[in-house]
Amino acid sequence: MPNSGSSRRTLLQAGAGLGIAASVPATARAQTAPARGGDPLRVGILTDLSGPFAGAGSVPLFQGGELAIALFNERGGVDGRPVVGVSADSQSKADVAINEAERLLGQEKLEVVTGIYSSAHAVPLSGRFEAQKKIMWITSAIATAVLKDKNFRYVFRPTVHSDQYAEGTVSVVAEQAAKKLGMPPEKVKLACIYEDGPYGTGVSGAIEANAKKRNMPLVLKEAYSATTPDLSTLVTKLRRERPDIVYQVGYNPDITLFLRQARSGGLRFRMLFGHGAGWSQIDKLWDTFGKDIEFMCNADPAATQMLDWSKLQPGVADLAKTFVEKYSAKYQVRDLPPHASMGFNNTWIFLEHVLKPAVRKTGGMSADALREAALQVDIPLGGTIQGYGVKFNPPEDVMAGQNARSICVVMQFENAKSHVIWPSQIGREPVMPLPPENPYALKS
Amino acid sequence: MDPFFLEALVNGILLGGVFALPALGLNLVFGVVDVVWLCYAELVMVGMYAVWFLYTQAGWPLWLAFAACLPIIAVFGLLLHLLVVRPLLTSPPINQVLATGGVLFVLQGAATLVFSTEFRSLGVDMPPMEVGEVFVSGTKLAAFCAALLGAGVLWAFLKFTYVGTAIRAIARDREVMPLMGVDPRRIYLIASAVGGALAGLAACLLVVQLDVHPFVGLSFGPITFMICVMGGLGNMLGGFLAAFLMGLIISVGGFWGTTEFSYVIAFAFFIVTMFVRPQGLFAR
Repeated sequence: MPNSGSSRRTLLQAGAGLGIAASVPATARAQTAPARGGDPLRVGILTDLSGPFAGAGSVPLFQGGELAIALFNERGGVDGRPVVGVSADSQSKADVAINEAERLLGQEKLEVVTGIYSSAHAVPLSGRFEAQKKIMWITSAIATAVLKDKNFRYVFRPTVHSDQYAEGTVSVVAEQAAKKLGMPPEKVKLACIYEDGPYGTGVSGAIEANAKKRNMPLVLKEAYSATTPDLSTLVTKLRRERPDIVYQVGYNPDITLFLRQARSGGLRFRMLFGHGAGWSQIDKLWDTFGKDIEFMCNADPAATQMLDWSKLQPGVADLAKTFVEKYSAKYQVRDLPPHASMGFNNTWIFLEHVLKPAVRKTGGMSADALREAALQVDIPLGGTIQGYGVKFNPPEDVMAGQNARSICVVMQFENAKSHVIWPSQIGREPVMPLPPENPYALKS
Repeated sequence: MDPFFLEALVNGILLGGVFALPALGLNLVFGVVDVVWLCYAELVMVGMYAVWFLYTQAGWPLWLAFAACLPIIAVFGLLLHLLVVRPLLTSPPINQVLATGGVLFVLQGAATLVFSTEFRSLGVDMPPMEVGEVFVSGTKLAAFCAALLGAGVLWAFLKFTYVGTAIRAIARDREVMPLMGVDPRRIYLIASAVGGALAGLAACLLVVQLDVHPFVGLSFGPITFMICVMGGLGNMLGGFLAAFLMGLIISVGGFWGTTEFSYVIAFAFFIVTMFVRPQGLFAR
């Protein structure tokens, strides 16, 4: 049947064409336009603009990166040479991420790709970038497993890694247990539920290790798929174990599903800690749950507006202010999600501190020139809009390519805003346990 | 009995109610038209968006948004049949599957374009019922009752109306019925509309439990297909019962083992079923 093959092809082409065209936001379809003349410097941006990850932080990550390129060009690019962002949508699927990365490196002939929201994508992608000796500049994916014991030379991650999340959220409880919960840390029962990808597995493993180090009992540690339609049995098991503290490591929609089913399933606790991703989409969580999530906590690199800008290095406060104003004006949000800051900040670090010196030194932007420049980066604490400094671990380090100066903070929601509560030196006094009027609060 | 185990059992039955309606609709269409709507979960997604839009954006009362959802998705079912399925009725099954699979991507893409990738919520919840130490979600219980009611109305329609009888007859033998004066094209249209309306009803039940986003179909679509095959493709009662069986396996398996392990058990059970009774557990 010669016709059937042909019609199938036509149908698939039409469907695929429509699907792809429809699934990519208009901002992503165009290349980020150069601001002025000169040979453009082309930089890939690979994020999830469709699929479940899009609504869990990947879109603000892209928007932040795009804004960094626009502002960099506005300020003259690299001596007049503009940067052009070549964007691609990995559609929340690892296989698509791999194909798109191959396309960016092979067909688009890029030397560097930034972005990468999900650790589930970063793990398989990192080996490919390393093999092809092209730069993978991770602005979000945090799983320790992406870099640990790999000794990569071409993969860099300026942002935090998953062990740091657990260090923060377990430390808060350990430090505040006696004062706020009226019990020694060893008596505080912890439970951890997590999505079953590298991100959830990485953070939950670190939570377990941190709890063990402090002799804190972890009464339940269980994984689930982020796309599961039901978590009610997990809620039942949590209720049976009566944890004081619940740690959730999730994307979305699993976070909202859990909160909804936890409430209807009668689960009560003294505090709940999220760990970035969907938990960092403050506006969305507030729209869905309102005051119900008041005083719940979340760990992530700080969104820039949470910091005291006067304590940042000279010039950084201006950059932070410009970013917040431009992003707020363009996207009309109540509170900028940390992913927007992550996208902007980590892209800016690349543009200003890696690309610019590499181009100035070599006249081009080969992966090797970028790599050399990356290893020379030495930004002190307070030198970026998210407060951390930048110094990448050398290839012989167990976490080669990881920013050794990255900082994770723990924040608490109040009135639809996040406020830093840990490290205690820069954070305010946490509200703990959840106040009795909170529907999730353990009453006794 | 351990109250927590009892709660897991109740959770399983209520979860079965979530799966039952889409399984019914999918089986109805397959049984009559002999085409698998791969995009069925996406029709449910469209229905969820319709309720969300009418309730939160247009300001309609929730009951009215629910009531409107059924005919809206019934029309989608009709259009799907007229524009995609009918032209391919005599084509090889693989073409039909690919075509409805194409619609799946179109609907996902269109939803992304219109509503973006944001997660939308009705913000509606019912208080839980507490019986001893057992908590039952009021929202899920209401959805479960509505699913049973919907299934009952469908059963009465198929059993006691002329059109329903014709639908059942076509499902049993689509070669002979035209010889007896039944217009299969009309029956196909009606079955597609009823299948669409069932997707609309499923949307009403799901939109109060899950956030709406363009890819929400991934949460329950694949498992709905598995349930249909396990119960016997085209066998409405089989699919309905298999939904509850699957809900119980997932819930009890998750209680005794882990959440992930419960899906391993469910899929292993499905594979064994396919070896032992490839025609489906409840096929006659």
